[in-house]
Amino acid sequence: MECAFDAQNLISISLRKIQSSRTQRGGIKLHKNLLVTYVLRNARQFYMSKNLSQTQRTHQYEDVAAVREKQEYLELTGSFKELADDFYCNFTGVESDTWHCGAHQPNDQPAEVAHQDASACAMVSPSDSDLMVSEACWSCVDKSSWELPIPNTQTNQKTVLDLDTHVVTTVTNGYFHSDCCAQPKQPQGAQCYAKKRKMDTSYHIVDPEFYLPDFGPVPCKRMRTDDESNLDSDQLDSSNISNLISVLGSGGLSEFVSWQQTDLEQIFATQTICLKHTLLTGSGWTRAIEAF
Amino acid sequence: MAGPGGDMQWCFSQVKGAIDDDVAEADIISTVEFNHTGELLATGDKGGRVVIFQQEIENKNPPQFRSEYNVYSTFQSHEPEFDYLKSLEIEEKINKIRWLPQKNAAQFLLSTNDKTIKLWKISERDKRPEGYNLKEEDGRYKDPNTITSLRVPVLIPMDLMVEASPRRVFANAHTYHINSISVNSDNETYLSADDLRINLWHLEITDRSFNIVDIKPANMEELTEVITAAEFHPHQCNTFVYSSSKGTIRLCDMRASALCDKHSKLFEEPEDPSNRSFFSEIISSISDVKFSHNGRYMMTRDYLSVKIWDLNMENRPVETYQVHEYLRSKLCSLYENDCIFDKFECCWNGNDSVVMTGSYNNFFRMFDRGHRRDVTLEASRENSKPMQVLKPRKVCAGGKRKKDEISVDSLDFNKKILHTAWHPQDNIIAVATTNNLYIFQDKVI
Repeated sequence: MECAFDAQNLISISLRKIQSSRTQRGGIKLHKNLLVTYVLRNARQFYMSKNLSQTQRTHQYEDVAAVREKQEYLELTGSFKELADDFYCNFTGVESDTWHCGAHQPNDQPAEVAHQDASACAMVSPSDSDLMVSEACWSCVDKSSWELPIPNTQTNQKTVLDLDTHVVTTVTNGYFHSDCCAQPKQPQGAQCYAKKRKMDTSYHIVDPEFYLPDFGPVPCKRMRTDDESNLDSDQLDSSNISNLISVLGSGGLSEFVSWQQTDLEQIFATQTICLKHTLLTGSGWTRAIEAF
Repeated sequence: MAGPGGDMQWCFSQVKGAIDDDVAEADIISTVEFNHTGELLATGDKGGRVVIFQQEIENKNPPQFRSEYNVYSTFQSHEPEFDYLKSLEIEEKINKIRWLPQKNAAQFLLSTNDKTIKLWKISERDKRPEGYNLKEEDGRYKDPNTITSLRVPVLIPMDLMVEASPRRVFANAHTYHINSISVNSDNETYLSADDLRINLWHLEITDRSFNIVDIKPANMEELTEVITAAEFHPHQCNTFVYSSSKGTIRLCDMRASALCDKHSKLFEEPEDPSNRSFFSEIISSISDVKFSHNGRYMMTRDYLSVKIWDLNMENRPVETYQVHEYLRSKLCSLYENDCIFDKFECCWNGNDSVVMTGSYNNFFRMFDRGHRRDVTLEASRENSKPMQVLKPRKVCAGGKRKKDEISVDSLDFNKKILHTAWHPQDNIIAVATTNNLYIFQDKVI
């Protein structure tokens, strides 16, 4: 067997696994999905480090350490936390400059160079790298952490891929412009926002133990501290975004990527329809995936 | 008992299960367990059934010692359920079976699916009462007015009937999927472990359990690991261990505190940075942990290796055995086809000198600790003639393939041996392929 190792493929495969776990018999397997998120994290860190090296070569206005911190913090935020009410992964893992598919190299030399060309691994997988997500919708259950303000005065942007509408939108100042749900109650200390999303309580369940009377209230999401908020100022500019998109596009995301600012109402309506369909079909809730 | 695995030759004894290549999902074996004497062998499958085999000793005079296991009892342990509140189906698959030490004529075992543990009593009935005063032989009641004399009913022999009846149901204590149950050496309590919690039960009490380990963080965003296996110490009723998805094992002492979140010992081997990969976290996750019979060691199984730990040394295992190191370069494909998530079990032989675990292509591996030898054997219908000696197999990891070697690319990853069991006293092993149970025994040379 030959496998063309590709972090992009890994990401798409991992997302597909997470998606399919939603419909598996017996419910979401916490253990397996936790491990999958680790692979996702590793693949994302690989891309971050790749893009960082590109950034360093072409742009001088970023402090490397600051960017790395921000990139690492990107791991801490985002919709990976929202992937399921059963599992989350703390993305404080070690950044590694050397990533390989596991092939043990002679003389203990990591094959980082070869893997960047997606050719080091001895196997080729026939997998397509499309991030196609079939039926089930993804929507956030608790976006409160995403809605926390970014005190940093600089404009920061994140890229969000919504698997419902297959639309990539830009988040400005840590505030998503397009998502299907919102928490009406704000965490302590959060600012008020110009736009508030309505919350559909019918699917606001984050923890299986919410149902159990013996347990206490569902714990609130940990509020990001000011320190963490400061790290969240993503400095991705348009050229970097273009680079990422070209990378992702080559992996099959191109058909889902739209850089045009999507009308909020249109997205909300679409996602609401999707959400209703999901609820009717009993799949529970949906998610949006933050990609880079 | 005969010598360790390296000197022995293993022979085919029996195979149980359907011959069809088309495997029904319900028939997939999900657990295998000998009882404490080895007389009984229980299997559980994905369909929620438990099948118990009993050893019939045909001729115990050496050198021709042949032990045959025949079906003793079959019953439906668990049924699929539906959690309406969460819109989740609860699988009936039997995750684990654990036998209780025998106290009387009846046998008891615990079986569990993802959410519910049941205590089953397996008893024999080979006599039936006859000569009732108030009932006819067919069960109809007599008119009391017609009774003119009294007699004492007597027990007369009948065909052996084995009855399995659920005696206890331990439910509603686990939010996450149960992965382990373990009976305490006190014969009164047992533990059940799911992804985030371990509960302590009393065998007589079903409406409550004590939570002894809870690794669920206050904020689920901070979750970094789950519990993968747990087991009580074979002799110390206060001690148990649990393994995690991060490759660590924690030994806990219930005397220290009611909630054993703080471990007494932490067994962890530092990761080799040269082996760092995208899949490091997956392959380091421990899928099984087993104490040795003497209670001095414990064995852990992760995706690629088996490790033996001395309970007195926490910083590294005393022995490490590579099960299928040739798969390290295939992790990408194994991740894609989900094989990397397979949970292999491991087991000790009766005197803790040999350990065994499964692999792919219906291979299973034995590691002789004393002689530092290992052997790869195959469970297949092709090698299933009575008393046929199993030929050691070899996988060619690279380079020129020798005769009788199998290349890594030829391995069938759909044929996996996840569950194995070793007779507590004799060299008889039970190896579960997808839907067949193979029984092998040593050939006394």
